[in-house]
Amino acid sequence: MIDPITLQQGTDWRAQAEVFDEIFFVFLTLGTVVGIIVVSYTLWNVYKYRDDGSEPSDDFDAPVVGELPTGQGGPKAKKLFLSFGLSAIVVISLVVYAYGLLLYVEDGPDTGEEGDIEITVEGYQFGWEYFYPNGHSEMNELVVPADQRIDLKITSRDVWHNFGSSELRIKSDAIPGETSETWFTVSSEEVEERGGEATYLVECFELCGSGHSAMKGQITVLPQDEWEEWYAGTGDDSADANSSSVEGDLANPRVTGSDVGGVSA
Amino acid sequence: MSELPPTTSVRRWLVTTNHKDIGILYLITALFFLLFGGVLALLIRVQLWDPANQVLSGLAYNEAVTAHGLIMVFWFLSPFAFGFANYFVPLQIGADDLAFPRLNALSYWMYLFSGILLAVSFFQGGTLSAGWTMYAPLNVPMYTPSIGSTGAVLALAMFVIGVTASTVNFLTSIHHSRAEGMGIMDMPMFTWSMLATVWMMLFAFAAVLAVGLILASDRVLGSVYFSATEGGSLLWGHLFWFFGHPEVYIVFFPALGVMLELFQTFSGRRLVGRKWVIIAICLISVQSFLVWMHHMFLTTINLEIKTLMMATTIGISLPFDLIVFSLIYTLMKGRIQFTTPFLFAFGALLLFILGGITGVFLGAIVLDYEFRGTYWVVAHFHYVMFGGATALFGGAYYWFPKMTGKMYDEFLGKVHFAVFFIGFNAVYASMFLGWETPRRVFEYNPEFQLFHQIGTIGAFLLGFSFFIMFYNFLKSFVSGPEAGDNPWDYSRTAEWAVSSPPPLENWPNRPSYASGKLEFVKDYIPDGGPAVKADENGNAATDGGDSHSDHIREYPYWDKHPSHASIWPIALSFATLVMFLGLSGFNDSISIGVADSLATTPVTISNPVYPALAALGLLGLVYTGVKWGLEDFYAPPSEFAERWPFNGVEKVKLGMWFFLASDVIVFGAFISAAVFIRYNAGWREWSPLTESLPGLINTFVLLTSSFTVILALVAAHRNSRKGLLASLGTTIALGLTFLAIKMWEWHHEIYDVGVTIAENSHGDPVQASIYYVTTGLHGVHVVGGLLIAGFLFYRAWHGHYMDDERPIEYFGLYWHFVDIVWVFLFPLFYLF
Repeated sequence: MIDPITLQQGTDWRAQAEVFDEIFFVFLTLGTVVGIIVVSYTLWNVYKYRDDGSEPSDDFDAPVVGELPTGQGGPKAKKLFLSFGLSAIVVISLVVYAYGLLLYVEDGPDTGEEGDIEITVEGYQFGWEYFYPNGHSEMNELVVPADQRIDLKITSRDVWHNFGSSELRIKSDAIPGETSETWFTVSSEEVEERGGEATYLVECFELCGSGHSAMKGQITVLPQDEWEEWYAGTGDDSADANSSSVEGDLANPRVTGSDVGGVSA
Repeated sequence: MSELPPTTSVRRWLVTTNHKDIGILYLITALFFLLFGGVLALLIRVQLWDPANQVLSGLAYNEAVTAHGLIMVFWFLSPFAFGFANYFVPLQIGADDLAFPRLNALSYWMYLFSGILLAVSFFQGGTLSAGWTMYAPLNVPMYTPSIGSTGAVLALAMFVIGVTASTVNFLTSIHHSRAEGMGIMDMPMFTWSMLATVWMMLFAFAAVLAVGLILASDRVLGSVYFSATEGGSLLWGHLFWFFGHPEVYIVFFPALGVMLELFQTFSGRRLVGRKWVIIAICLISVQSFLVWMHHMFLTTINLEIKTLMMATTIGISLPFDLIVFSLIYTLMKGRIQFTTPFLFAFGALLLFILGGITGVFLGAIVLDYEFRGTYWVVAHFHYVMFGGATALFGGAYYWFPKMTGKMYDEFLGKVHFAVFFIGFNAVYASMFLGWETPRRVFEYNPEFQLFHQIGTIGAFLLGFSFFIMFYNFLKSFVSGPEAGDNPWDYSRTAEWAVSSPPPLENWPNRPSYASGKLEFVKDYIPDGGPAVKADENGNAATDGGDSHSDHIREYPYWDKHPSHASIWPIALSFATLVMFLGLSGFNDSISIGVADSLATTPVTISNPVYPALAALGLLGLVYTGVKWGLEDFYAPPSEFAERWPFNGVEKVKLGMWFFLASDVIVFGAFISAAVFIRYNAGWREWSPLTESLPGLINTFVLLTSSFTVILALVAAHRNSRKGLLASLGTTIALGLTFLAIKMWEWHHEIYDVGVTIAENSHGDPVQASIYYVTTGLHGVHVVGGLLIAGFLFYRAWHGHYMDDERPIEYFGLYWHFVDIVWVFLFPLFYLF
């Protein structure tokens, strides 16, 4: 089992996608191996013990109509419990292993003093609205910086939706009256690889009405400095509405430039 | 009672109460719904052929998805299994029929008519489009306003009512009518799996009945449970999945039972570790109620609960491992015959292994987080549920010769299997490959187009394969070779010991396993006296065994023929259909204005058809119910039967206890809903809406009426007609007093205080909804009880119940239950 502590040192955080890919690979490999063994063993035996029209052997005890049912004991019963025990060990160890990683995914990486960004996501028929700490809100496109842990608080203003991005391997229910949480992080290397701006598709994973299929959005990840510039600009359009709270939010250490800069330093 | 017409007469199929006839009706109807749901599936697949192109509109696609799910899960899988259960469980346990034949017919007609109600809903402005899981609040009229949506919800409620009757019937039959010498561990595996199925159904379907009634109330009466932000959505999730997870096993177990039978019959080997397989089945049945929140890992439930649910989920996979290995090892050293039934059962095992392995993935929460809402889930549950149903088609081929007396065409059967198996894996394995597609979307990432196109081709292949089966069955029924009584070399169960098809009353003489194997014994019936049990040599024995001669006073066994026909099950179901059809459009046809009192309230009826239908249906329901009660219908008690663990409990009483157990869950769900919503709203934020005094008076009134019912029973036991009439009359008067106080209270709340089912001027509207709906459900139980009491009073007036006070006793059980429920409701709504 992988110790969750080792997963979260420095900025070398494991994104949920990496954790998922690892578990999925382990499960898929073991599942395929077990599946092939069980199915081929079964097929081989079914072929071996087919009724080929020959005379039954002496120890073949054919059942008759009207007998009270009994089971078969003997060596087969022993084999039954052996196989059962083995399968139980495989299944339980798989799940214990996966559980260790669940604890990491639940808490997310420890950001220490570096801070993170908390964004509220509100689903509606048929789109997503994102609320930033400074009061700015954005429809359908979530713009966030690289190398930073993004905490999402997810809710809905009408029916039950499910906010998810397959590529980032994040997903959470958006339920009216409830707030669920998830987090993600994208490294600056990843952003660079994708040409200085990484975009990820957001889809709705719970049937929410006639526009469910089209309920798509986007997460855009920018390099730190570009995002800071963008974010500073967002203060303006909500300034008319509530300028003092914007300033107050900008003063919040969780999102101030110096702290954000601290992450990339 | 009327005579049963011959099978060639249409009338026969309308009035029959015989378990074999009803089994066939179930099978044919279920296959019809397979086609219905299948056509919807093909519509979905056609839409998915192209990632962008649309054949259906968004709404129509959602309707197709919803109706496909509902029809396949409710109107196909379970009823198809219950067709076999109807036909073969009584035969396998050595009974003449199910315990309550008329109730069995009622279940069938409720099933058929509820399906018709669902079909009609397509033409009422479109059926429900919220998915078969019907997540709240998409399921309330604000988001799914069509009348047809309400119709679909009511169809489900009606279906569940029929299921509840069926569940009580099977539980009573299996626990009450097993042939002498057949202990509970001696039952054939198909019967065992059905027993586990109906035990789960008793509780699971009570939960879905409750949640369906609450939703129907939201849709028809305007209560606001599921639109409440005080946990309304999560309430739906919890209640639905508390039903929904056991439901997976409810549809799978009958198929498992068929697999367990067929693996033995076509290998000539007995089941390996039989006792442990039975224990595993029982464990799964209990555990199935402890895993439901694994469908809700991404909601706001906390880590501790998730961990617990993960542990129970993995725990429930282990007994399945044992069963799978037992099936595999059973075949070894056998003489395996690759007949069509075996191919289907074996194919089902392979599909189930794949479904099981992919299910373990879902048990790991981190993986579930990503699989949630994707085609991985869709593929997994099709492999498990439809993979299981594959064995049921094996059952169809296996029992076809028994049911028709004709042999099916083996070659066509094998072709069917090959096409079916290839089509099945093409459509569902491709879903695993394209699993990142979100569920229930029709515009998807073009990257996955290939997988979805393979799926579409597979679906058409799968659909086509059934026409091979239909042709095979039709052709063989008309001109197939005679099958004989027992076409299989290694069959064991009792259905193969009688002719094909079996005679109306199943057995030449009374079946008994007292000697360790099936024998038909002739009981000695002296003139004018009760039956005397025959001993092993066929001579009359004098010990009487399990005979309860005092139970047959009203219907002397020796001069009364069992009844097999009644028109009232279909009539009562039809009345229910009419009433529910009326209720579906009720809310849209009537608007009730605001006024100071009931008398001056303006009521505007915009469309008189729906309210008229509802009223007509209700009248029909009361009329047919009374006619049902008055009909002279005789279902013979099983004189000498194994009844563990309910030895000494009379048949109807046992049925009544089972019914009350399910009703406990219904009220339990309503009370849990009230507690859950209040907890989410803040427990101390709410104070009682009503004065406590009327509630207190009503508590005393009801408790007193419980006492008078006991007096009625004592009077009937003492053959005192006057005493019986007086105490029954007092009970009715007390019940009416309760209702009168209730009505005064509601009137006061609505017109003086201003608290209606949807509005609450003093706090959360949902609090008012909970108050009216929960006490309303109790009130409906009181009204129902009073109708029965009135019926008993009328019969007592004409001198009944003097030598047989049992109906009074059974009514008393029900009435006490209704009173006990009030004892829980009173503090909940009047004190705290």
